[in-house]
Amino acid sequence: MRRNLIPAISTLAVVSLLAACGGGAGGPSSGGGKISDDKIVLGVINDQTGIYSALSGPNAVEAVKMAVEDFKAKHADDAVSKNIEVVVADHQNKPEVANTKAQEMYDRQKADIILDVPTSSAALAVASQALAKKKLYFNITAATTALTGDKCNKYTFHYAYDTYMLANGTGTTVTEAGAKNWYIVYPDYAFGQDMEKSFTKAIETSGGKVVGKKSSEFPNTSGDFSSQLLQAPAAHPDVLGTMHAGGELVNLVKQYNQFKLKDKGVGLSVGLMFITDIHSLGPDALAGTRFTDAWYWNFDQQNRDWADKFKEKTGSRPSFAHAGNYSAAMNYLEAVQAAGTDESDAVVKNLEGKEINDFFLRNGKIRAEDHRVIHDVYLAEVKPKSDVKEDYDYEKIVTTIPADKAFKPVSESTCKMGQG
Amino acid sequence: MTALVFRKLGAMSRLWRLVAVLGGLLIALALPWLIYPPVAMDIVAWALFAVALDLLLGFTGLLSFGHAAFWGTAAYAAGTIAIKTGAPFPVAVAGAALVAMVLAVPIALLAVRRTGIYFAMVTLAFAQMVYYLANQWSSLTGGENGLQGIPKNLFGLDLSDPFYFYYAGLPIALIGLLIAWRVVHSPFGRVLVAIRENPARSRSLGFPVDRYKVMIFVISAGLSGLAGGLYAISHGFASLQEVYWTTSGKVVIMTVLGGIGTLWGSVIGAALIVQVEDYVATSGIHLGPLNITGPGLITGLIFVGVVLLFRRGVWGTIAHLVRSRRRGVPDVEPHLSGTPSVAEREPAVAPKS
Repeated sequence: MRRNLIPAISTLAVVSLLAACGGGAGGPSSGGGKISDDKIVLGVINDQTGIYSALSGPNAVEAVKMAVEDFKAKHADDAVSKNIEVVVADHQNKPEVANTKAQEMYDRQKADIILDVPTSSAALAVASQALAKKKLYFNITAATTALTGDKCNKYTFHYAYDTYMLANGTGTTVTEAGAKNWYIVYPDYAFGQDMEKSFTKAIETSGGKVVGKKSSEFPNTSGDFSSQLLQAPAAHPDVLGTMHAGGELVNLVKQYNQFKLKDKGVGLSVGLMFITDIHSLGPDALAGTRFTDAWYWNFDQQNRDWADKFKEKTGSRPSFAHAGNYSAAMNYLEAVQAAGTDESDAVVKNLEGKEINDFFLRNGKIRAEDHRVIHDVYLAEVKPKSDVKEDYDYEKIVTTIPADKAFKPVSESTCKMGQG
Repeated sequence: MTALVFRKLGAMSRLWRLVAVLGGLLIALALPWLIYPPVAMDIVAWALFAVALDLLLGFTGLLSFGHAAFWGTAAYAAGTIAIKTGAPFPVAVAGAALVAMVLAVPIALLAVRRTGIYFAMVTLAFAQMVYYLANQWSSLTGGENGLQGIPKNLFGLDLSDPFYFYYAGLPIALIGLLIAWRVVHSPFGRVLVAIRENPARSRSLGFPVDRYKVMIFVISAGLSGLAGGLYAISHGFASLQEVYWTTSGKVVIMTVLGGIGTLWGSVIGAALIVQVEDYVATSGIHLGPLNITGPGLITGLIFVGVVLLFRRGVWGTIAHLVRSRRRGVPDVEPHLSGTPSVAEREPAVAPKS
């Protein structure tokens, strides 16, 4: 056996060869200059092919690229840097993949900011990398309030929506409209757990009751929700509240209709819905369902203008995640422009407390206390097919929930920003 | 005359061995300068894991398809210890290895009653049990969210830079490799090889075969645990992926690729797989709709190639070539298991060295 050590030398060559294909990326890192590495790098980490790929996915990358182009066009010669790159990674909705990808993006691809990151468990992993590397992270498509609560940190900002906003919008209105008894089904990971808690709180505060709840495995690879759905009628709820998202929501609603739960007196309420979900199901499957939306493309002319440009690029209408990615990328670049550097602390300083009004952020403000980005949100209703005038024209905005009412007040936040 | 030649060969091989060990150490020390440090740490952790598996697969002839249970359990254990107690990370890793060994005892006692494919199935079944347990016991493991934010404590040293952490973690892996080397080159290791070659004859010679198997299984699990704990600390993260069956599969591929029963071949196999996966994932090679399976596809192709062309694995083939040229040992195809037989490895005429 020892003799097997003899040919070691020849294999040393193999190892060196292996080492060589990794590229010379070693050694301790060094900081520097006004614009680090002479370029601004925006990283997008999301689900490129899985259950959350339609609602953000490749089109979110397109949205970020649009922001970069528009920024370059706007600032032509006085731009802080002409060299702006967009890099992409697929995290497959797995937190450990997101963790590694985020680390690599910050270290190797020299990303100055990471955007998007659906899947709350993955988002939490990216947030911890952002803190460790002292680089920015704008979360758009993950919903957990932990990002601006217990797990908040100096370099993480939360855009678009969160579970509090959804529960506060949908849970409260639906309960107050008379559906007192809820049966909640949720995916068993950070997002679903957080949604279940937020909804329960909102329902109980507005005089309702949760008569039953059931979680499903995440990701639900079989796409089967029969065990969750068939148990619901026994508890006699007025409404079945589903906290699933993306492709899972689509499967669940299809099965809800197959099992004819509506005929058994169980209504449907959806915790989180993207316009892409309505598109996959067809509006009739969801007609009349009320939900909270962070942004709707056909809300007014300003939104429509942007949505038209988006359609030119991608061939489809944007979800609020797509618009949020554009807005986040643009506002980050503007902050870099204003600060004159992409050095994280300077950019954070510029962003904190900033009031912003763009097509996505109406009455927007970046709260310095917990880095929640607040803005007006909307209570929407799915139109019946007969009212739909064009593709993706699926929503009727019932009311606008003003920015200061839509999100968890700072006084209730558990975020301790100083301690990271 | 022949004796003289052999003595000369013995001295030469000792020199070679020294050069090899020093060369290996040099590469290990230089690794984070050559490649991205977290990947270097991954290589080291996986290398130890693959070596641990080789103790079972190569030296005892038992194919465990459930080693993710030990690697993953240790990952969770190391994370929990580090988070809850704030202990220095080597303590957490050692504790994790201990937990893996304790877990291995009942599994080994049941599994060694079977051999071959049945042994593989039993270990796989236990590993899947551990997986579902980890998924359900989310108050401890974080379930789908994983165990996040595992600290890298070491007496107040700042190890957040993966470059420095590599040098803090490397000694632990080297200790693990040293243990594996000692096991193989001890009388205990000789008995294991005897058991692999002919269990009935070993039993008739008076060796308690099952007890030997249990012992090596537990040692292997302990080393896997050492590797898994190190991996979790390095990533600051323990997830369900660590206990999933694909992890068991990956380490088997590494060991086979490097060469079963060669110990150091596993190190090469681990380096190869980790590097290829990293290269494919970062190079932006798009395989159209197969994009997501890109790394798996390419490692799979390499695996098929190696199994078809070099049945002894990378290390095994090189070792064989060198040996056959020096001694004129005829080129015999290895046994079905892919391992060279004892006779081939240790020719009867060879002097004791």
